[in-house]
Amino acid sequence: MTVLRDFLATLYKMFAADLVMSLIALATVGICAAARGLVGAAALPYLLTAGVVVALTIAVLRGSRR
Amino acid sequence: MVTFATAAPIALAAFLASAVEVVEAFTIVLAVSIVRGVRPALIGTSAALALLVVAVALFGPLLAMVPIHGLQFVVGALLLVFGLGWLRKAVLRAGGALALHDETAAFEEETSSLRGAARSSAADWLAGVAAFKAVLLEGTEVVFIVLAVGARPGLLLPAAAGAAAACALVLAAGVALRAPLARVPENTLKFVVGSLLTGFGVFWCCESLGAAFPGGDWAILVLVPFFLFLAFALSRLVRSRVSAVAA
Repeated sequence: MTVLRDFLATLYKMFAADLVMSLIALATVGICAAARGLVGAAALPYLLTAGVVVALTIAVLRGSRR
Repeated sequence: MVTFATAAPIALAAFLASAVEVVEAFTIVLAVSIVRGVRPALIGTSAALALLVVAVALFGPLLAMVPIHGLQFVVGALLLVFGLGWLRKAVLRAGGALALHDETAAFEEETSSLRGAARSSAADWLAGVAAFKAVLLEGTEVVFIVLAVGARPGLLLPAAAGAAAACALVLAAGVALRAPLARVPENTLKFVVGSLLTGFGVFWCCESLGAAFPGGDWAILVLVPFFLFLAFALSRLVRSRVSAVAA
């Protein structure tokens, strides 16, 4: 039972150690997918990279306050 | 067609990420083998490896059935989130906001925990479970990394080769030293692996959305150093914030 619990905890840590960061990153991917027709394919790499930079920066600033 | 610009970073990412995970699993297995003997360590490790092989045998063919664009989108998003997790932890550890992972301390903690249980009749069983758990949990991350970075056609082989090389190297070093591999620069590796995984995540998400970076596959060689530079810059920021709080 503890093995299963630790296994699930590992899966959680792999993808959601900082839930806010993961959600911002995934939201950025979603926004890029939705905005593909609106902003044009050429802008997507920069939009996605910018979103990832914001997600990491927010996560680090939140983490450094704890 | 798989280019060197794609295959080399894939093999490197799998090698470095697997090295970090295998070092952590090896520490626990070594503690088990020293306190309780080689038998429970080998049984626990073999059982976990068998379970991981079954998981790969089950999920590998399933992944092959998913259309490549859909798979690349999902895997890209997962790699992105997973890579960001590694980068975040590396930055916070380098900046002093989180304690660095210490293999010697982990080894001593596991050893004393196993010695505490040594008098109970189920001590061998508990030791075997400890080895099983360590290999299964760290191995899960290795399997995910290999399957994820190797998800594009032709890339599974370099990814698997990178992971296998890391396992062989860590085991050879560990068996030779018979001590925890505390001198492996784990946090530096986390910076590099986090940057690689995040770079691949961004690149593959874009590609699956029909958007291409200028330079095609070679853009990976710009994305990875970009995230590495960003992570180092953020770690300096964290260090200054931690120092300001301590002062």
